[in-house]
Amino acid sequence: MYKKFNPITGKCGEIVEEIMQSPEVLPLNDTTRFKIRLCAEEAIENIISYAYGRNDGFIEVNSCISDDNFVLSLKDGGMPFNPLGRKDPDINKPLEEREVGGLGIFICKRMMDDVRYTYKDGCNILTMSIRN
Amino acid sequence: MDIIINHSENKTLIALNGRLDTTNAEQFQKDISPLMEGDKLQIEIDCSGMEYTSSQGLRIFLMLQKSVTAHGGSLVLKNMNSRVKEVFDITGFSNIIKII
Repeated sequence: MYKKFNPITGKCGEIVEEIMQSPEVLPLNDTTRFKIRLCAEEAIENIISYAYGRNDGFIEVNSCISDDNFVLSLKDGGMPFNPLGRKDPDINKPLEEREVGGLGIFICKRMMDDVRYTYKDGCNILTMSIRN
Repeated sequence: MDIIINHSENKTLIALNGRLDTTNAEQFQKDISPLMEGDKLQIEIDCSGMEYTSSQGLRIFLMLQKSVTAHGGSLVLKNMNSRVKEVFDITGFSNIIKII
């Protein structure tokens, strides 16, 4: 599927639902769809919350099946930011030191088979793929 | 997502049904916020109907665990499905929240 969403504030649930109802995702098995829903939500929520600062903007969603892999690409025109450049959260910290910040992209890295970031033509592009 | 809260003498039983995600995490937080005040609460959450959680949900479980610990109470999550359990496992939340 290809679809451009603009504006995006408050639209995370709607965008995720469109991805989940796309013809590429519907035939996949339950576990793969669970992981796609989770990683799409985490990545899109990050873009909505941080990419455009106080402003609104767009997200372009591209998805396809390539060599038995489901590939989801999310493009935004916000501030250049490589989420893969962040240090992973320390998941062994005790309760009182645990925070939830930074978990979203960490979940994507652990749940997907491949996560890549590029900055091209003024846009952030996050591409995630998973084998069904 | 539906949330059912039952208080008995010294236990609070919560049942969650549906998906806990960006669309309803704020409401879930409001629904359980009274439980973050009480002293020595024993809270059991039945997760058998919880189909999904994202980090938005994890954030609230973490807040609840921190407040329960601070107030001398206890929190147990029960009957979690394997996919949701994996989210708790890979984020290390299984180490800080009791899951049976």
